[in-house]
Amino acid sequence: MTLKIDFGFRKQFKTYKFSLNYCYQCGTCSGGCPVAKLTNGDYNPRKIIEACILGLKEKLTTLLEPNVWQCSTCQKCVEYCPQGVELTEIFDHVKNLCVEAGNYPQAYKAQGEAIREKGSAIPMSNAIIKRRERLGLPVMKTASHSEIQTLLRETGFIKKMESI
Amino acid sequence: MEYKLFWGCTIPARIPFVENSARKVFKKIGLNYSDLEDTTCCPDPTGLPAVDQKTWLTLGARNLSLVNDYNNSTVISLCSGCVETLKTVNHILNVHGDKREEVNKYLTKIGKKFSGNVPVKHVGQLIYENLDEIKKYVVKPLKGFKVAVHYGCHFLRPSEIIEWDDPDNPKTLDEIVTALGGESIPYDNKLECCGCPVGKSDEELSNKITMQKLQGVADSGANCMLVVCPACFTHLDFKQKSLNKEMETQFDYPVFYLTELLALAMGFKPKDLGVRYHVVKAKKLLLELGFMD
Ligand code: SF4
Ligand code: SF4
Repeated sequence: MTLKIDFGFRKQFKTYKFSLNYCYQCGTCSGGCPVAKLTNGDYNPRKIIEACILGLKEKLTTLLEPNVWQCSTCQKCVEYCPQGVELTEIFDHVKNLCVEAGNYPQAYKAQGEAIREKGSAIPMSNAIIKRRERLGLPVMKTASHSEIQTLLRETGFIKKMESI
Repeated sequence: MEYKLFWGCTIPARIPFVENSARKVFKKIGLNYSDLEDTTCCPDPTGLPAVDQKTWLTLGARNLSLVNDYNNSTVISLCSGCVETLKTVNHILNVHGDKREEVNKYLTKIGKKFSGNVPVKHVGQLIYENLDEIKKYVVKPLKGFKVAVHYGCHFLRPSEIIEWDDPDNPKTLDEIVTALGGESIPYDNKLECCGCPVGKSDEELSNKITMQKLQGVADSGANCMLVVCPACFTHLDFKQKSLNKEMETQFDYPVFYLTELLALAMGFKPKDLGVRYHVVKAKKLLLELGFMD
């Protein structure tokens, strides 16, 4: 199989996430990554960064090689990268493109829906409301519905959630 | 100095007994705080930025903008995820002028503005920094508590953004445990992840991470765990039972949030704190150690 270079993607990544350009492929990130260890190297943050630098969009967002969703976001790679590459933030950009390609775990959509509807990732259940009363806890005053809707319409999030 | 408490989603809506313990402790030590109102989800640093980074930045900036009106106040939070989001959003919008401009363009539509540099602090940090004062309120030292301290990921990393404790060799929480009269027990995989975030995409992998963690605790002789993050709390508390079933393990370690241990040391009764709502029951341990009768 030939790997296709997506020049637009490459340019976009290298310009916005400037730290990408500093990666010298030393592999420190993968060496300390707990997921790389548990998957015997199937998951490999260095390879994700490499594919971003090379512009291999399809490999990352369609084939999921490596599967960027397996990152546990523990931030060890970011902590120990000698070049200051902002790996997890770069992964978020890759994931955003996976979402646009329809390649994402359902739980993310569910959380997105909850935030879209209520502004909260975990809306209060009736049982919890009762429990809070029993503990003598106050009612939480959260953001107004209309304000959240305005904002999420502006950022394009509502449209995105409808289209994925 | 006034503190604005950012409660986030998980604690109020899933483990309100943790909120309860924190409010009791804050009242006891006379902390000058009030709830930050009109908030949304921070949003979850392991969830929403993966779906849409722009929306994550915008909602995060909106939460921070609520504090602009309170000069001189610091946001405090009990959640390592919320702290990470708020600090990272602060950071990104201060470094990337174009992102900040874009976010502010959205915020204008609701009459808000992100002006940057809102100080944010984890409650664990607040407690550590005031430990000498807080120690004075300890009436029931945590004798017999053999605590496996779980720092979690986002309490420490990335240290350049979190700016708290040593990411390789953190000490603050262990020192708090000691100051409260308990014992911090070293264990394997102490600085590893609890396994929670990756559960959204790969449960098997998440279970493996959690198993390693709990096995380290099991081999160490600890009799309970301490956490400073509601995601770590719910994951480590909820998962022990199901792992015991699937993997034939026998994990039975009560998980305490930092302010619960503080409250117990300050003489609050488990009954009034709501410790009974934990999934892994703490009753046996608390009876044994004389914290319940
Ligand atoms: S540790 Fe940093 S420089 Fe080394 S391979 Fe990973 S991202 Fe590149
Ligand atoms: S943040 Fe992800 S890629 Fe980086 S070390 Fe942790 S699991 Fe590995």
